Amino acid sequence: MKGSNGAGGRERVIRFALFAMASISIFSVLLILLFIFKESLPAIRSQGFTLLTTNWSPNVSDPSAGSYGMLAFLNGTILTTLGGMALGAPLGVGTAVFIIQIAPERIEGILRRGIEMLAGIPSVIIGWFGLTLLVPYIARVTGTSGYGILAASIVLAVMVLPTVVVLSMEALKSLPHELEEASLAMGATRWQTIRHALLPAARRGILVAVILGMGRAIGETMAVQMVVGNARQLAFSLTERTSTLTSRIITDMGESTGVFRSALFAQGLVLLLLVMLLILGVKLVSRDKKVK
Amino acid sequence: MMKPKTADRIATIVFWLLGGITVGVLLFIILQIFGRGLLTALNPKFLLGKPEAMKEGGGIFPMIISSLYLTGLTLLIALPVSLGAAIYLAEYSREGRVTGAIRFCVDSLAGLPSIVFGIFGMTLFVIYFGWGYSLIAGAFTCAILNLPTLMRSSEESIRSVPGTYREASFSLGATRWTTVRQVVLPSATPGILAGTMLTIGRILGESAAIVYTAGLFVRKAPTSPMDTAAPLASYIWYAQTEALIPDFRRVVDGGAAFLLLLVLLMNFLARRLARYYQRKKLAGGADG
Repeated sequence: MKGSNGAGGRERVIRFALFAMASISIFSVLLILLFIFKESLPAIRSQGFTLLTTNWSPNVSDPSAGSYGMLAFLNGTILTTLGGMALGAPLGVGTAVFIIQIAPERIEGILRRGIEMLAGIPSVIIGWFGLTLLVPYIARVTGTSGYGILAASIVLAVMVLPTVVVLSMEALKSLPHELEEASLAMGATRWQTIRHALLPAARRGILVAVILGMGRAIGETMAVQMVVGNARQLAFSLTERTSTLTSRIITDMGESTGVFRSALFAQGLVLLLLVMLLILGVKLVSRDKKVK
Repeated sequence: MMKPKTADRIATIVFWLLGGITVGVLLFIILQIFGRGLLTALNPKFLLGKPEAMKEGGGIFPMIISSLYLTGLTLLIALPVSLGAAIYLAEYSREGRVTGAIRFCVDSLAGLPSIVFGIFGMTLFVIYFGWGYSLIAGAFTCAILNLPTLMRSSEESIRSVPGTYREASFSLGATRWTTVRQVVLPSATPGILAGTMLTIGRILGESAAIVYTAGLFVRKAPTSPMDTAAPLASYIWYAQTEALIPDFRRVVDGGAAFLLLLVLLMNFLARRLARYYQRKKLAGGADG
């Protein structure tokens, strides 16, 4: 059934061309790592451990005279991400359980479609919504500016919701039907079945959903930048203005040069490493599952 | 301890509440954005007007053109590559170390924040290649950013073509490539198109990867791929951040409503195509 020699040669060329296109993803990842690392080297060299302090005093006219500690923004990234997940993860997992287990068919359809729509809303739009509605509301209730970790966390919760819901739904759907039936047959209520049979069995998949949601939250830029306040200070209070790594990069990149710019790339590098760590975590969690 | 029946009832109420909050948030956002901006967005003077820098009454025409231009260029770059990669993964590759590496990199690309693509694209395309803030720099950046989504949806569509189609083609003496081109791809097309529509929605809404590659403000619509552009999503961010225009609220409200309209339209088309595809597949299954 083999073709003539000519056809076989053509097949080989095509196979190679397709392989080359598939390997572009490898080259892209390597190029991104290389460039971000290369661009952050000047800052790493000249600033050293200063990069890991809270001392952020950039100097626009003489960049090498400034100090570029990113700790306050790393703190902002971590707190807003945790806040976003604290709100988004239970809501997302709960919504997934609702869709799979409880909702009547028509409502299930509406929810599925709604989640798809939510996933498609651009982050600038959610940011604009947060800026014009959420921030003034928080300001009125708390008597502060309204900007800060709380506003960013709520915005992030909305943005991670589709990821958490869709992946949790997949985890719950992949469970064998017998599990649920056995539990119900033994006289367990629906809630007992969900809590003691379904959720424990799906916990790895749900963990993956939450980790990937976290990845989105860490990297979200525009929506967070619009509501977090962008102050260059360390903040622990929910309603104090602060910055995240992403919001700092997007705000300062335009006007920075030299070491200042390089320090922003170093923040990008930290961001990249954080996300890579999460992706590795996902790989580990899902590999264990296959072994079992 | 609470009676199981009571606990079950309370849990059911809580789950209804959670589902309700999710839908409520979505509806609230969409209604707010449309409620405030749709009238402006559908006003031809706004849609076809030039943007103003310091005074009121500006429009968003060059931004719409920028968005469409950027989307087209991005697909031009990303579609062939992702389709080729998907064909390789679905039809040619054996699961092994190289394939594993490709999949890991696709997963990594899918997880990287768009701002990382943005500063990478700025360094490589804008500065290193010397293209400046341009549509082409933005398109290459966006192409890499969207590679995973396009690859995955294409691969899935290709894989879901029944194996019997291929066997029939092979038994007629067709080579692998002929089979792919003439049998597999035509059946996978609606699925690939659905993935493309979703990607178009994502490109239209992308901003963090765009502002420092394609640009964020122009007065005139770009014509050449080397021109600086201001895709709508970037411009929305810029207009509200700088707040130089006195009526920036109206501009951002209108721009946001129009952008949301475009994105939802693309998602709607994607769902339509996916459903059509599903139905066709079911019909095909009944035949065999």
